[in-house]
Amino acid sequence: MNALEAPDVDAALADQMIDDSVARLFAAKVDKHQRLSAETGELDMALWQQVSDSGFALLLATESAGGLALGWTSAYPILRGLGHWQVPLPLAETMVAAMLASMAGLDLPNLSNGPLTLIEQGHGNALQLGGTAAAPTLSGTAFGVPWARHARAALVSMADGCVALLPLTDAPGVVITPHTNAAGLPSDSLQLDGAALTALAPNPVALVRPVLTLGAVARSAMLVGALEFALAQAVQYAGERVQFGKPIGKYQAIQQNLALMAGDVAAARVAALVAAADAPSVGQAGTKASAFSAAVAKVRAGEAATRGAGIAHQVHGAIGFTHEHALHFATRRLWAWREEFGSDAFWAAELGRAAISARAQGFWPGITQKQF
Amino acid sequence: MQGLSIQPGTLPPECETLRAEVRDFLVEAMADMPALDRCRNWSGADAEFSRQMGQRGWIGMTWPKRYGGHERSSLERYVVMEELLAAGAPVAAHWIADRQSGPLLMRFAPDTLAPRVVPLIARGEAFFCIGMSEPDSGSDLASIRSRGRSCNDQRGQGWLLNGRKVWTSGAHRAHYMIALVRTGDKEAGLDQRHGGMSQFLVPMDTPGITVRPIINQLGEHDFNEVTLDDVWLPADHLIGAEGQGWQQVGTELAFERSGPERYLSSSQLLLEMLDAADADDPRHAEALGRVVAHYGTLRQMSLGVALMLAEGRNPALAAALVKDQGALVEQAMPDLAHQLFGGQVAPDSTLAQAMKYTSLAVPSFSLRGGTREILRGIIAKGLDLR
Repeated sequence: MNALEAPDVDAALADQMIDDSVARLFAAKVDKHQRLSAETGELDMALWQQVSDSGFALLLATESAGGLALGWTSAYPILRGLGHWQVPLPLAETMVAAMLASMAGLDLPNLSNGPLTLIEQGHGNALQLGGTAAAPTLSGTAFGVPWARHARAALVSMADGCVALLPLTDAPGVVITPHTNAAGLPSDSLQLDGAALTALAPNPVALVRPVLTLGAVARSAMLVGALEFALAQAVQYAGERVQFGKPIGKYQAIQQNLALMAGDVAAARVAALVAAADAPSVGQAGTKASAFSAAVAKVRAGEAATRGAGIAHQVHGAIGFTHEHALHFATRRLWAWREEFGSDAFWAAELGRAAISARAQGFWPGITQKQF
Repeated sequence: MQGLSIQPGTLPPECETLRAEVRDFLVEAMADMPALDRCRNWSGADAEFSRQMGQRGWIGMTWPKRYGGHERSSLERYVVMEELLAAGAPVAAHWIADRQSGPLLMRFAPDTLAPRVVPLIARGEAFFCIGMSEPDSGSDLASIRSRGRSCNDQRGQGWLLNGRKVWTSGAHRAHYMIALVRTGDKEAGLDQRHGGMSQFLVPMDTPGITVRPIINQLGEHDFNEVTLDDVWLPADHLIGAEGQGWQQVGTELAFERSGPERYLSSSQLLLEMLDAADADDPRHAEALGRVVAHYGTLRQMSLGVALMLAEGRNPALAAALVKDQGALVEQAMPDLAHQLFGGQVAPDSTLAQAMKYTSLAVPSFSLRGGTREILRGIIAKGLDLR
């Protein structure tokens, strides 16, 4: 029985409980040592099991798969927490994979033994479906697969509208080459040669690219968490650091930059919350607004990350450039995550093509309906 | 940093019915309006359009019926406002009165001035201008020098106003001004700085008022200089309490900054670009897609501010955030048009006209209603930096 299984409490209270348990778990359990250790390529299994046992990993999954069947608004505080406390775990990837796999009726591996990861066919990879309908296989290369070296399996979304699980642990035909992203976290390359897929099932949500889109929703919330941390650090530092006889936060040049960053963070937060509210979940396959809001959030959070990382560093001066200082755990994640699951440029082009096709007369109705 | 967080929300279903009504009305009312006029956005004035708005009950929507209002929700009002602005409707004549002067009068002169004047606003027949800025007082409003002096003569108990107001938008078509003047010393205020100011309702046909146009860089007449020369007002034209002007203006500016007009001002140029763009051109797609993301986000932020107002919460800080972010988007629009289409469009095209007009208009967007620097100062205060 985990702390979150409380079917009788109302939704707002349940979300508050999640928020509280996120803070309890992440603030208490994640420290600098674990963040650094993850950058050597390690997965802290004890930490993973604590997080997994808390119910977070299966929060979005169906009840028949042992999940909580909650929506993304409930998941938001967890995802934001991954950014705010720089939790070095593939929790977001596992949550999305478990949701899609369970909704598609695919059997999930025991997550206590390790996490899951995500692949969208045709995005950063050239993967070909092979084998037979009864025994499908996957071949080709993929890069930028988060934490693949530690994942039990990858949930793969196919361009033809199917999803499948690709076992990765000791799997024949799977060669994993370790790489890292800007945050120093695993972002691996796969060479697949007739690697076995467990099964193929129809994509269970109304999104053309479910992995890419839900990954963008998750990364947007994580970016907001990292931005909130970086802003709070910068504000605190500006209040403490004294130059020319007063705290640097008293200088208008510093105030103006931090105010700009606060505006960017507020904008990114609103966009990420709306994307979460519009995202599909168990019992709600999603609408056209789901993809629109996800794209808007990833563009806005990505842009906020670009400008915010720069301002946070500028305010911190040289101390924020040291390895000793904690700022880089947040800012390096900002630079890594703004790229993953579609950069802001990628999603902007998606939105732009739709808006241009809708022409002037379709623009404002598109904004108010959150779809073109 | 609580006030720096804006919660998104959703509009109740009745708002979408109203939205459809407003769209139908605008298609008809604006059928013959050229693209260039739509570029004026909420600076474009049309008294007849304002009267039609009043007839439809779309001015003073949230006000009590005893003031000629319609007692509709602030979210319904929000929907009407965003539809008007997105379409570039000529709302300037009644906009200021609907947005801030009406609410100010009802709040601070509920039994004296409001019953007489506010119903006229709701009918779209009384237009207002704001007499705050002076030649030496822009962002530093506490430094105003125009004075109001209490007097008692054959006209009865009253006030004599003297001084000069500038950058007064729409003074040449306004029936009333809300003037902020000095009636006592700064030091009379609790903070030794903001005391001694009072607000007055000034009918623009009062003897002693001279309105002179200040032509802007577009060659258009929106601003004015308004000289007050022994302007006599009856005692009851003082709004609220003597010496409380600064506090009252704070309330008024919160109304001014919290609407959706703070990101939609360059919309017509965006629409022209969408019509001229090529979906297969990656530069067009990415650049315009970023604007779409900004619009989508700012609309949700603006709606979040409207929801705060509807819940009776103070949106001043959130509104400053939205206005600062919104002005960045509005002001980037002509530069974006320049990057994508500069030197490539026929001079008589609506895109070329919109580019020319909007590039000249945008410098004012981070000045009016609080400069970028003032807004960021407010936000910095919200961050506890000052």
